[in-house]
Amino acid sequence: MSRFKEFTKGIFSENPVFRLMLGLCPVLATSTSVKNAIGMGLAVLFVLFCSNVIVSLIRNWVPAKIRIPIYISIIATFVTIVDLVMAGYFPELHHSLGLFIPLIVVNCIILGRAEAFAGKHTVFLSIIDAFGMGIGFTAALITIATFREILGNGTWLGMTIFGTGFEPVLLMILSPGAFLTIGLLIGFLNWFEHYRTVHHS
Amino acid sequence: MKEIIKYALILMAVTLTASGALALVNHFTAPKIEAQKQKELSLGLAYVLPEAESGIIIEEKLNETVIYKGYANKDTTQLTGYAFSAYAQGYSSRIWTLVGVDTAGLINRINILDQKETPGLGARCTEIKSGDKNPWWQRQFQEKNAQTISVKNDGGTIESITGATITSRSITNAVSEQSRILFNNLNHQE
Amino acid sequence: MELKMLLIISVSAIFVSNFVLHRFLGLCPYIGVSKNLDSALGMGMAVIFVMSIASVVTWSIFHYFLEPSPINIIARCFHKNPPDLTFLRTIAFILVIASLVQFVEMVIQKLSPGLYRSLGIYLPLITTNCAVLGVSILNIDENYNFLQSLVNGFMSGIGFTLALILMAGLREKLELANVPKSMRGTPIAFITAACMALAFLGFSGLTIN
Repeated sequence: MSRFKEFTKGIFSENPVFRLMLGLCPVLATSTSVKNAIGMGLAVLFVLFCSNVIVSLIRNWVPAKIRIPIYISIIATFVTIVDLVMAGYFPELHHSLGLFIPLIVVNCIILGRAEAFAGKHTVFLSIIDAFGMGIGFTAALITIATFREILGNGTWLGMTIFGTGFEPVLLMILSPGAFLTIGLLIGFLNWFEHYRTVHHS
Repeated sequence: MKEIIKYALILMAVTLTASGALALVNHFTAPKIEAQKQKELSLGLAYVLPEAESGIIIEEKLNETVIYKGYANKDTTQLTGYAFSAYAQGYSSRIWTLVGVDTAGLINRINILDQKETPGLGARCTEIKSGDKNPWWQRQFQEKNAQTISVKNDGGTIESITGATITSRSITNAVSEQSRILFNNLNHQE
Repeated sequence: MELKMLLIISVSAIFVSNFVLHRFLGLCPYIGVSKNLDSALGMGMAVIFVMSIASVVTWSIFHYFLEPSPINIIARCFHKNPPDLTFLRTIAFILVIASLVQFVEMVIQKLSPGLYRSLGIYLPLITTNCAVLGVSILNIDENYNFLQSLVNGFMSGIGFTLALILMAGLREKLELANVPKSMRGTPIAFITAACMALAFLGFSGLTIN
């Protein structure tokens, strides 16, 4: 696969959230505002990048039988680093993301990519994969957060969009809104995919 | 058998390296995290004990609870009031409120420092309207008697947040309960 | 008083702050295993077991080894001030959970090969179930004691299983319904989850006095 395709697959054809259905817990929980979405997306991108690099570097020395605990230890280390750095330098973001920062360690995307890709490819390709998947994840998060924040709070990134007459749909910020948004988005993407294949053949 | 030992040793090496790396990062970030907490606390205290602005606030332990005494001058001659933490079990989180009272037991201000209540409902307890500087819901606590304060539903004077009666009630009751404990302890001291 | 606190924790874990529908923990198996009722039930049982044991084991590790408190092992045995190792919480917890799941896998394989086969890949995936690590961390953040942590772990597992079984029952019916093509499968499952979450919102305010 060409290098560029390697990168874009993470954003479109193999988008971890919309296509692979991985890492759903943080997506629904942190998409209440675009600011949280960007923060979480970047945190996951950082951990994904670091873990892919290290896993790829040691791929020839890791005994296959204990590779999962080793991958988990590596990922947990970087997640803790993100946790500590955020607590010290970005306390507000750390507080909003809360429980979901340490939960990055069980984000299926990171362990999934380590197992399925980084453990079998070179460091360079693993870096591209990490960026593709990370950016795809962040993009998906921001998309969902955009819908939820605009409809549920009348703002985008904190900036008021509608005037004071706008009555926010509180439901969008609460849990049903999250499920509704992602369900409709995936449904729309399915329809779009079907429409594309029908009209290209 | 030899394989298991080899695997165990490799895993131990990996986890030790990981722990070492983390200890290093922790060494650098721990002071920063501690400083953040202290800054948050001292800013919060200054807000609830406004008369101690040019004076000093001293932390004390009274019967197992931590309280803060505010003085108008640095030589602790003029006691202006007390501050204490009230913890409430809200709808979905533990709410940390700093309360500042004057020596007569009337509330100066409250300052909700930590909450993870429902956005748009309970979380409005810390909401600041555009143009304002401080949360609107907390303003109604000012000048009220800390020990007898309660929400309107319970016969008091505090207006609950629409749709967030649990959050409002928890916070209000925590404030009154903790202030009763404070003045009880102060009376026993004398 | 103690019993009342435990009751509050239970009601909260199952209804008011349901792990799946309110806290968004445990979603991957929720969408993945809820296609049929039997495997949902099996998965639910396994998760309840893992969550309960994980709660107490991680609680113990945190309070006896990591946190610098008077009951810390180093304080007890060596009578010195124990170092603050709370930054090792994430890595210690997840490794404990991974080992626990490995152990449960072996037990299920021996006791019920049928269940083992039907759960398939989802059994080792309990390790990456946000609910297990989530409840462990929540127990620490909420400052629960040993018994409260155990009850919280067990009851949260029950809440997860409840949501899972309800979803499985609904999905079995949905298979026979006339769903628009692009919404079939996951999208309609999410919409269903939205309705369930809405229903469970009605429990907010449920408390014991």
